[in-house]
Amino acid sequence: MKLFINGQSISIETDEPTLLVALQCYLTPDQQQQSFAVALNGNFVSKTDYPQTSVNRGDSVDVLFPIQGG
Amino acid sequence: MSKTMNTKLNIYGQLVDSRLLIGSALYPSPEIMKQAILASGSKIVTLSLKRQNPAEQAGAKIWQYIQEIVTENRGFLLPNTAGCKTAKEAVTLAKMSREIFQTDWIKLEVIGDDYNLQPDPIELLNATEQLLNDGFKVLPYCTDDLVICQRLYDLGCQVIMPWASPIGTGKGLMNPYNLETIRFRLPQATLILDAGIGKPSDACLAMEMGFDGVLLNSAIALADNPVVMAKSFAQVIVAGEQGYIAGVMQQRQTAHPSTPTLDTPFWHQQG
Repeated sequence: MKLFINGQSISIETDEPTLLVALQCYLTPDQQQQSFAVALNGNFVSKTDYPQTSVNRGDSVDVLFPIQGG
Repeated sequence: MSKTMNTKLNIYGQLVDSRLLIGSALYPSPEIMKQAILASGSKIVTLSLKRQNPAEQAGAKIWQYIQEIVTENRGFLLPNTAGCKTAKEAVTLAKMSREIFQTDWIKLEVIGDDYNLQPDPIELLNATEQLLNDGFKVLPYCTDDLVICQRLYDLGCQVIMPWASPIGTGKGLMNPYNLETIRFRLPQATLILDAGIGKPSDACLAMEMGFDGVLLNSAIALADNPVVMAKSFAQVIVAGEQGYIAGVMQQRQTAHPSTPTLDTPFWHQQG
């Protein structure tokens, strides 16, 4: 199944993946330990909801990290 | 807000020692960023969220530095919604920021024009209302339009941040009259001048007008020596505040001698 994470097309083997599985496919082990937040199709998803949030073909996931800002 | 001596900056009831809010972007290096922020004495540091390529680790180091600064300074993080163009985007980004940074403060930016990065007042008001209802403490970045500032205040914003001029231009206070009018008409709001500051005297002028604080980034980060410039801004903001508290004299149309003329020495007297 294909979906988009941070604009990149990602293939996931599992038939009914969760957001948690999708993130584990995309992020490096180091990044999984860092601070990040997630939006699914433009809507915020709380960290506690990753394991029970389903993702579907063509979904768009944004994974954002802290950076400098003005 | 009407001020007396030694008052602190009031952000939704949180009293803050410094009236300078500082950005964390555009510095020559993370080390200089840290030195400059500490030199500024600022207790509030702005930052943001962005996508990061899995191979890229630079963001993690910046975040580590900012955390060290805030811990060392006993300061506060102020996440922004830079880059958002709609209320929906800004609300989503604000919620993501709240989860990561564990703060309900949000510097709300909703840009309406790519050329001058001018805030979109319609989307800004819409996002502000949603976020206030969701428990956020919103610090909206807006233009120097009195009516927009009034509407934001009426919605429940205790802090309002009109621009001096477009972000990153360094043009200083484009419309001093507008800013003075906002100060006069919203005496209870915490007013922070945000964006467009170019030099220390700009910040001083805003504080002399009675603004409660100044938020800036480029003017320090892009200076030849950001650390020295940070110290300069810290000093002029205190000087400007003290000038406002002391009460500036009224301008007069005609000259008045400073030295008493009574008993003028003999060489001016008629025989």
